[in-house]
Amino acid sequence: MGKPNGLVQGTLDLFILKTVALEPRHGWAIAKRIQQISRDVLQVQQGSLYPALHPLQQKAWIRAKWAETETGRRAKFYSLTAAGRVQLENEAANWDRLSSAINLVVQTS
Amino acid sequence: MAWVHRLWLRLQSLFLRKGLAKELDGEMQFHLDELIAENIGAGMSREEARSAALRTFGNATALKEEAREAWGWTCLEQLLQDVRYAIRQLRKTPGFTATAVLTLALGIGANAAIFTLMDALMMRSLPVADPKTLVRLGDTSDCCVNSGSVENGSYALFSTEMYERLKKYAPEFEDLASMQAGFPYRPVVARRDGTQENARSVMGEFVSGNYFQTFGLRPAAGRLFSDSDDVKGAAMVAVMSYTAWKRDYAGDTSVIRSTFWINTKAVTLVGIAPEGFFGDRLSTSPPDFYLPIETHTLISNAPYVHDPDVRWLYIVGRVKPATQLGPLQEKTSVSVRQWLKETRTFSSTPDKSLPEKTHVVLTPGGAGIQDLREQYQSNLGLLMGASGLVLLIACANIANLLLVRGMRRKTEVSLRAALGAARNRIVRQLLTESVVLAGLGGIAGLAVAYLGARMLLRLAFSGAETIPIDPRPSVTVLGFAFALSLLTGILFGVAPAWMASQTNPSDALKSGVRGTTVGASLLQRSLVVLQAALSLVLLVGAGLFAQSLTKLQATDLKLDSRNRYIAHINPQGAGYSPRELETLYRTIEQRFHELPGVNRVGISNYTPMEENNWSNGVQVQGQPYSGRDASFIKANSEYFDSVGTHVIMGRGIRTQDVLAAPTVAVVNQTFVKDFLPNGENPIGRHFGSPLPPEANGDYEIVGVVEDSVYTSLRWKDHRMYFVPITQRPSSNKEPIDQDLSLYAGALVLQTQWPVNNMEEIARKTLAEINPNLAVVKFQTFDQQIADRFNHDRLVAQLTALFGGLALLLATIGLYGVTAYTVARRTSEIGIRMALGAPRGGVIAMVMRGAMSQTAIGLAIGILATLPCARLVESQLYELKGVNATALAASVLTLAVASSLAGLIPARRAASTDPAQTLRAE
Repeated sequence: MGKPNGLVQGTLDLFILKTVALEPRHGWAIAKRIQQISRDVLQVQQGSLYPALHPLQQKAWIRAKWAETETGRRAKFYSLTAAGRVQLENEAANWDRLSSAINLVVQTS
Repeated sequence: MAWVHRLWLRLQSLFLRKGLAKELDGEMQFHLDELIAENIGAGMSREEARSAALRTFGNATALKEEAREAWGWTCLEQLLQDVRYAIRQLRKTPGFTATAVLTLALGIGANAAIFTLMDALMMRSLPVADPKTLVRLGDTSDCCVNSGSVENGSYALFSTEMYERLKKYAPEFEDLASMQAGFPYRPVVARRDGTQENARSVMGEFVSGNYFQTFGLRPAAGRLFSDSDDVKGAAMVAVMSYTAWKRDYAGDTSVIRSTFWINTKAVTLVGIAPEGFFGDRLSTSPPDFYLPIETHTLISNAPYVHDPDVRWLYIVGRVKPATQLGPLQEKTSVSVRQWLKETRTFSSTPDKSLPEKTHVVLTPGGAGIQDLREQYQSNLGLLMGASGLVLLIACANIANLLLVRGMRRKTEVSLRAALGAARNRIVRQLLTESVVLAGLGGIAGLAVAYLGARMLLRLAFSGAETIPIDPRPSVTVLGFAFALSLLTGILFGVAPAWMASQTNPSDALKSGVRGTTVGASLLQRSLVVLQAALSLVLLVGAGLFAQSLTKLQATDLKLDSRNRYIAHINPQGAGYSPRELETLYRTIEQRFHELPGVNRVGISNYTPMEENNWSNGVQVQGQPYSGRDASFIKANSEYFDSVGTHVIMGRGIRTQDVLAAPTVAVVNQTFVKDFLPNGENPIGRHFGSPLPPEANGDYEIVGVVEDSVYTSLRWKDHRMYFVPITQRPSSNKEPIDQDLSLYAGALVLQTQWPVNNMEEIARKTLAEINPNLAVVKFQTFDQQIADRFNHDRLVAQLTALFGGLALLLATIGLYGVTAYTVARRTSEIGIRMALGAPRGGVIAMVMRGAMSQTAIGLAIGILATLPCARLVESQLYELKGVNATALAASVLTLAVASSLAGLIPARRAASTDPAQTLRAE
């Protein structure tokens, strides 16, 4: 058990970084956002998010803070750090290169 | 500096684990609540919303663990958790835990104790520099001062001349040292000059000048020997052992450069040997003084120091790096053979094969001269075997206990699996539990090992002044014990863990509440059978050794030890020359007779039932030399009466048999039987040494005595002759001043009644004759005889101990399995009783099960004892194979013990209340 189906660990990391890049979000919001953006293509067990969050904190790419949600409950909000922003840019660029390469291969052959 | 930040975060996660876990719980709960709310918003019922949310979220328990793993300290955390849990589980079942720990402690402790002895006797090196490069010349424990040829040609004892030549012509050795072989048998008398202290008999070892240098030792104070101390004409010097320095002089440095009277000769103490150095061999009597070989002539009146035909030194050397021992051994053998050809021994021997079979075996010298090793080797082997069997039984017990426990916990394990515990985690947890159990057993085992080793040492060296072995287990032993307990834990933890991992939670949960009515598994029963068989083997062994000891002690020694005391003395050490001895002996006899209650005063070179033995080749006049020898005793006229040996023909030794009178001898019955076999009258016949040729008429036989036992009961057909102590045969041409055989070694005092303070009286009486006449050793004759059985007693006691342990463990094992079976069959038994089964019937049913296992075990055990008994036959006294008594007694003991082990659970089964069991259904 554990790893979400068809999702590489790095990919999940990239999603998380991207999702919290705009504004601080809590786990539930991150999960929802990933599902929304991917238009439900990525069927992830939502709980899988949590084991992935901690390493990102330890690498100091994201930081966490307890705050109140709009419904008045306390939740842990994650936001991107400066180091995280650099990492996100690198990863995104990498991803771009990789996906366009794959596109190229798939379309031409 | 990013890594500092990261490290900080990481450490935080270690110390704030609890908080983090709580936060994680809160986060996940929030997530789930939101999911449920969303689902309800989509129109689901509360229940539906909840289970849908759980499905979407995934296995929360497992995810939490995964998240914690990401914190990076899970391994440690889980381990601690497992250990804590294991300890809690073990505390919940104190009976099981105590039994298991005790079983392990006894099994491991017994083995570690034996291993401590093994380690000290067999493996430990001397506390010297680089013991690995030390090599000993020779592989036998031949001792002490020998002449004549070596029967099997293997040389280990050398003459001074041979040592000097080897040292000169063996460039492969950095240093080659030699040392007196028989120093424990020749103590010296020592007294510090200018003090009031009494002359004491202490150990002194004569060693070569480079002795300390060869071992790479530095003095604790003063200086050690150099080659220049060991030459003719050098000032006489000595080195004292560190132990003696601390014990007798409290480490006072003023003893250095002071004069000591050693055997009444003035010797300067030049230094103290290093701390911890106990000489070149493990011994119960380590030397207090080291003295140069060259001074042996003067100090000990030893005429043989430069006699090329007398061998009295051991040789140990340090080889140069990268020396091949094979070629060196060959070269040494060739040299020794070559040089021996020049000696009288070789030129006069009738054994023509002597030169070619002469050889020297090089052996590792790092552990020194290992005579103690040889003494204990066969016994230690036996004890290792016995303790190994005990360990096997203990392991079978542990396996059984863990299996029982594993099965009992099937339900618990299934429940945990059903609640979402990862399977590998459960297995790991069960393993941790058995390893913790084994660890506890190992620690308890160390305590047992320490106490056991102390007890073993006290038994093995009973009566010794110094026990040369430290009972504290060494690092090796610690490692051994822990490896053993870990292995046991893992080995026997794997089976239940594996079984647990095979369970399907739902199956187990369904059937787990009510036990399936099968009893113990085949594996368990086989273990019990094995235990019974092994303990029978050990019990029979214990029985055999006990019988052997009884037989030894019941044997008629043809001696009388009642009211007899033996004082060992050293007239040479007191400064007497051989010429003065006749007068000394008369004085001793006279003075002791003046004491009230003293009946007989025997004087001899040595006495019955001590280790000493002097022997000589014997040729009867008018017969060819048969190659046989006989032991001889030099004694005064009261000697036979004092030890209780009866003269059965002719006469004993008389006071008139003095130096000037004709030389006579009294022989024992075996002597007559072997040398004069055809019923010839022995009285009046002559015999002597085969060499020189005229010597065979030296002694006229004047009497025959019965075969009193000397040295050992195991020495059968011990030919002996007894000659007056001050007489010398006419063929003996060596000057009387060099004749060491005139020196007495023991007084045997026979009194009218028991005299409790005889030792004090004897010391005082001797000191009045001459203050240097120190008592070397004082014992009652009974003690001396009892000491000769120490070895047999030790083995008998230890085999009995191991037999008892085995019996105890096997009984516990059988009890455990029977009790388990009964517990599992409670409902069945209840139903049987409800249906009218009588109490007796239930007891019989349970007992049948228990006893059938014992019976099979006994049958296998009986078959196994036959070859085992043959293995130990050589260590038994006049016992062949397994005898009916030992076997019957062992079978009976085991049967009684196992019926007790069966009876307790059987009675419990019979007291089952049918109504209660049925309600529980």
